[in-house]
Amino acid sequence: MVGTSNGLIALLASIAAGCALGLVVGFASLRVRSDFLAVTTIGVNFLFTGFVRKQAWLGGEMGISGIPPTGLGATGNMAMILAFAFATILFSLYVDRSWMGFAFRAVGEDESAATTLGIDSRAYKLAAFGIGTAFAGLAGGLYAFFTQFITADAFDFILSVTLMAMVVIGGIGSTLGVVVAAIGLTLLPEVIRFVNDYRLLVYGGLLVLVIRVAPGGLAGVVRKLFARAS
Amino acid sequence: MYYVDLAVTGISFGCMYAMMAVGLTLVYGLLRILHVAHAAVFALGAYVVVLVANATGSLILGFLASILITPLFGVAIYRLLYQPLLKYRPDVPMIASVGLLVLMQDAFRIVFGEQGVTFRSNPLAFTTFNLGSVTFNAVQLALVISAVVIFVGLHVFTTRTRMGIGWRATVSRPQIATSFGIDSIKVRYLNFAIGSALAAIAGGLVALLNNLVDPSIGAVVSYKALAIIVLGGLGSVRGTLIASLVLGLVEAYGTVFIGDWLDRDAIAFLALIALLMIRPQGFTGARTA
Amino acid sequence: MPKHPSSAPVFIKKAALSAMFAISLLTTAAMPAKADIKIGFQVPLTGPAATDGKSAQIAGQMAVDDINAAGGVNGEKIQLVTYDDQAKSDQAIFTANKLIGEDGVKLVVNGSYSASGRAAAPVFQQAGVVMISAYGVHPDITKAGDYNFRLVHLGPPQGAATALYIGKTLGLKKISAITMDNDYGQATMDGFVGAAPKYGVEVLNKYSYSLKDRQFGSIVASVKRDNPDAVYATGYFFTAGPLVAQLRAAGITVPIIGSQAFDSEKFIEIAGPAADGTYIMDSFDRDRKDEKLQKFFSGFKEKAGYSPEGVAAITYSSFMLMADAIKRAGSAEPAKVRDALAATKNFPILEGTLNGFNSLHEIIMPISVNVIKDGKFKSAGMITDLDAFAPPEK
Repeated sequence: MVGTSNGLIALLASIAAGCALGLVVGFASLRVRSDFLAVTTIGVNFLFTGFVRKQAWLGGEMGISGIPPTGLGATGNMAMILAFAFATILFSLYVDRSWMGFAFRAVGEDESAATTLGIDSRAYKLAAFGIGTAFAGLAGGLYAFFTQFITADAFDFILSVTLMAMVVIGGIGSTLGVVVAAIGLTLLPEVIRFVNDYRLLVYGGLLVLVIRVAPGGLAGVVRKLFARAS
Repeated sequence: MYYVDLAVTGISFGCMYAMMAVGLTLVYGLLRILHVAHAAVFALGAYVVVLVANATGSLILGFLASILITPLFGVAIYRLLYQPLLKYRPDVPMIASVGLLVLMQDAFRIVFGEQGVTFRSNPLAFTTFNLGSVTFNAVQLALVISAVVIFVGLHVFTTRTRMGIGWRATVSRPQIATSFGIDSIKVRYLNFAIGSALAAIAGGLVALLNNLVDPSIGAVVSYKALAIIVLGGLGSVRGTLIASLVLGLVEAYGTVFIGDWLDRDAIAFLALIALLMIRPQGFTGARTA
Repeated sequence: MPKHPSSAPVFIKKAALSAMFAISLLTTAAMPAKADIKIGFQVPLTGPAATDGKSAQIAGQMAVDDINAAGGVNGEKIQLVTYDDQAKSDQAIFTANKLIGEDGVKLVVNGSYSASGRAAAPVFQQAGVVMISAYGVHPDITKAGDYNFRLVHLGPPQGAATALYIGKTLGLKKISAITMDNDYGQATMDGFVGAAPKYGVEVLNKYSYSLKDRQFGSIVASVKRDNPDAVYATGYFFTAGPLVAQLRAAGITVPIIGSQAFDSEKFIEIAGPAADGTYIMDSFDRDRKDEKLQKFFSGFKEKAGYSPEGVAAITYSSFMLMADAIKRAGSAEPAKVRDALAATKNFPILEGTLNGFNSLHEIIMPISVNVIKDGKFKSAGMITDLDAFAPPEK
């Protein structure tokens, strides 16, 4: 199908664009302190959506509609998204176990110590940004195929907070923990009516609670249980 | 006179930002925490003002109640949330702070309703003064006067009183201050209390200006205030004041002149990112952590 | 230094995002349908549109109760299946799939914003489910196909009618225009600006503000400088309230003409005495001697604790229209209901009389205008020149 092959190119482009934006922000991260960086990344999102809203060629407030379907149908789309999700998880697990994953953790825990070990912290920071945002680009591309139209409204600060809640609740740095948290937080409102009505209250509350009680998140709790058992 | 009108708008905005952001920058100076949930304090302040004013019929009682209640809330945030997290990296309490803000915003919606609350009687918002062809609104004037009083007061407090000098010393050189016998815990409580009261005043005045308090009242201000304190050189009161006024003015003019290609809310962050690329340590940032 | 959680490789959270979409797709398993006629209902109960969502929900429930109390349709009761779509496109798709798959719903009222209706419309179209969008104003909604209807005027026709009203009826020529930055605001303003020259209306300047804005100092100062004959503004009541209050506080006394979504008691509450003299386009005449309207008014106020706004009325009307179409079709089979809806002629709804639908299933109906006097909505006439704001045919 024509749609399918073009769709693949479009997805590659979304990955490349995500990666490129990540690298730009990544360069900023080399220049500013970690807390400045937090504010900067929040700012980049406001800036990006604030810009897109005013650009007629990006659809402005109306968004971009008529995004062609993948041609795979609803089931096909689901399979495609699942396949990409699995590939992403596998890749994350692989990186986690590789030298690169070790270097990420080393830089994250103590940058100067990592540098004395001969780890080029700048290069790894950039790599983390580049890889991470490439996947974000992929997710955005899949989202576009899923909804078939996009508006700036869909990518607000609440989405950032939701994603952050998934990461923190799952356990910062743990692939499987985050996957479990992402699935859990998505299904929770579907299953429990209360959670649906008070979604942000629950997300915010969980975020505060997890950090306060178990800063390692789900993954940390599981690790602790295993450590105690053995 | 058009440009003067815009300047009036910008300066009154700037004063509001300054009152909101000064608490944030002081918290940062002391604890290295980006206190995002300060916006929830701001919103709480606005709600208390409107609810108490409607219940008692007195705006002054509303502001008094707000100035008394919000410091308790601010100190509780420190005591229950931040203090146990101080042993972690600064991003950890910051994430907790974001969580608290989101939680509070939803709590406001649930408790006080989506529709928001309006003042039963709000003559200030509809009172105007004309100076030549320049129009001032009473609330705008109140914003500017409050900010002037507060910043002069803060200045006197931190240069003339024992407590204030100790506070300033703790913010700029924590270890040395402690060795001089200043109780740094007390300073932290003081810090959250004062910062919260100032945010409450700002919140109450914004509520008057809009004649509406809805759950999202703190949302945009929160992230802008973050940009302001970074621009102001984290921890610097003077820098924060300058950055607030500059941002207020830039937004006031920017809304009209660059509104066609960039949202007003994005202007603060454009300035922020541009500045950080040129001066990674911020506007006045003499001190680095 | 004490231990702290290690830094997160950023990409992991992105993996979570794609997993999120995949999982939600899984919830579309098929389930058998039950006896009563089910009408699906998508409303934004949480998120930024929750204010309108709550009103729509109350109105929708009232409509269904009223229909059932009158004996139902064709001897069958209506059963309401409500989902929260948060006014978001992805949630609209999830809940649309749930309505179709899990609940076996064949008829739907979308009581939500455009982002929801736009996303849901193609899903319903493909499943052969009839959808009435109560107040979603984006053109895409009806373009999705013949199963989709809209019971509110599109943004551009409403804007065009406003130009006519300002230029011809009010005879005002020089206008400062203020747009809210979202699809509804932009589309309505485009319609206004496009039609303005026809009625000799000159747009002096155009300003825009974001949905989160409540402070309009710069725009107010600019309007003051423009010194217009009138101000035209699009917005929701929660932006319009502060906007009108601040315009008036700055000494701007010219008429303010507001778009449909100004229409709420809350607007008058926020703007206070400043609300007087504000015209609201495409509103509904609250004083109309119509038993149903007055009954709806008192009933809603009793349930909600506040007076119904335009959103509530149009949602109620959507259910009434759907029930009437089922009755006329003699069955709840979606294809028949669709044809019955398309053939609607002069159907009385709360807002007046619906002439019918055009080929694209856009409504053909006069636009009523309100003006606020002494803190009350008062009718300020009807715009009946239907050709002046004819909706697009494709």
